[in-house]
Amino acid sequence: MTRIHRCLLAAGLVCASTVQAAPMGFAGSAMTMADYDESWRMLSANYALTRSDAIGASISELRPDHGGRETLTQLEYVRLAHRWNLTDAQANVWLFGGLGELDRGAAGSAVAWSPGIQADYETTRLYAAATARLYRAGSVERDQYSLRGGLSFYEAAYDEPQPWLIVDARRMVGLYDGWEVTPMLRIIHKRFFVEGGVSDRGNVRANLMITFF
Amino acid sequence: MNTLNLFSSRFDLRAGLLAVIAALALLLSAPTPARADDAQTVTATVNGMVCAFCAQGIEKKLKAMAETQSVKVDLKSKLVAVSAKPGQHLDPARIKQVIVEAGYEVRELKVGGAL
Repeated sequence: MTRIHRCLLAAGLVCASTVQAAPMGFAGSAMTMADYDESWRMLSANYALTRSDAIGASISELRPDHGGRETLTQLEYVRLAHRWNLTDAQANVWLFGGLGELDRGAAGSAVAWSPGIQADYETTRLYAAATARLYRAGSVERDQYSLRGGLSFYEAAYDEPQPWLIVDARRMVGLYDGWEVTPMLRIIHKRFFVEGGVSDRGNVRANLMITFF
Repeated sequence: MNTLNLFSSRFDLRAGLLAVIAALALLLSAPTPARADDAQTVTATVNGMVCAFCAQGIEKKLKAMAETQSVKVDLKSKLVAVSAKPGQHLDPARIKQVIVEAGYEVRELKVGGAL
């Protein structure tokens, strides 16, 4: 791990995940995100320049099933391409972009790039999202695809924590074979967002988001 | 007899004056009922406001306005109520603009009302 990587980690910066509900905060706010699982550990942070644009940085540690460790460091861009504000729901299309380096240790390093897209729909009780993000570095592919659906146990007041049950189906190309399904408990309380669960592969997963302003 | 009548009429006049003064004092000391259009409170019905994680942007931006005393959010009814500081007034158009800039749509805006 290079000095830059250590500095990023020490600063608590996070890498953007493809599984976030809303991958950026409101204009003028900063958001930090941390994702933990056996295959992909990420830290990232971004700052919302406008209500539709955020820039940030991320660092990830990838652990393929076939062995080895890889470090992905990127500058990130998030764009809210479109939002539908409905009477009792919200729907969004998000675009992602990343540019940086994938360090594969003895196997060398390469310039990495990672375009992606997410569509989501949410009410006070229901949530659904589909995400696809390509992670490419030379001939290496670490693409992620995920489908998420969930429901809230009850309709919480604004100042109350709101628990959700989320089921996530995810595929991570080059890290493991097939799809991984994870039931997760999500709790949202104003500027805090935390979720965790254990996948059908026995993989412990946890995600955290905090907004600062 | 005349002296008694004169005393009685003076007493009635004094009592009447006192009653008028008391009534005026009561009227002046009573709180003035707020007019419906004085923009002490503005309530917005907001489309797309479905989670606290997202709605905090609305709350934060409205609280940052100098004239804002408090902001209340009700996710169930999709309402945001803004109250003005004493002696200050809210601009409904400005409140709508803040909510729209936060990424939401204002379906209805009412002056007055509370959550």
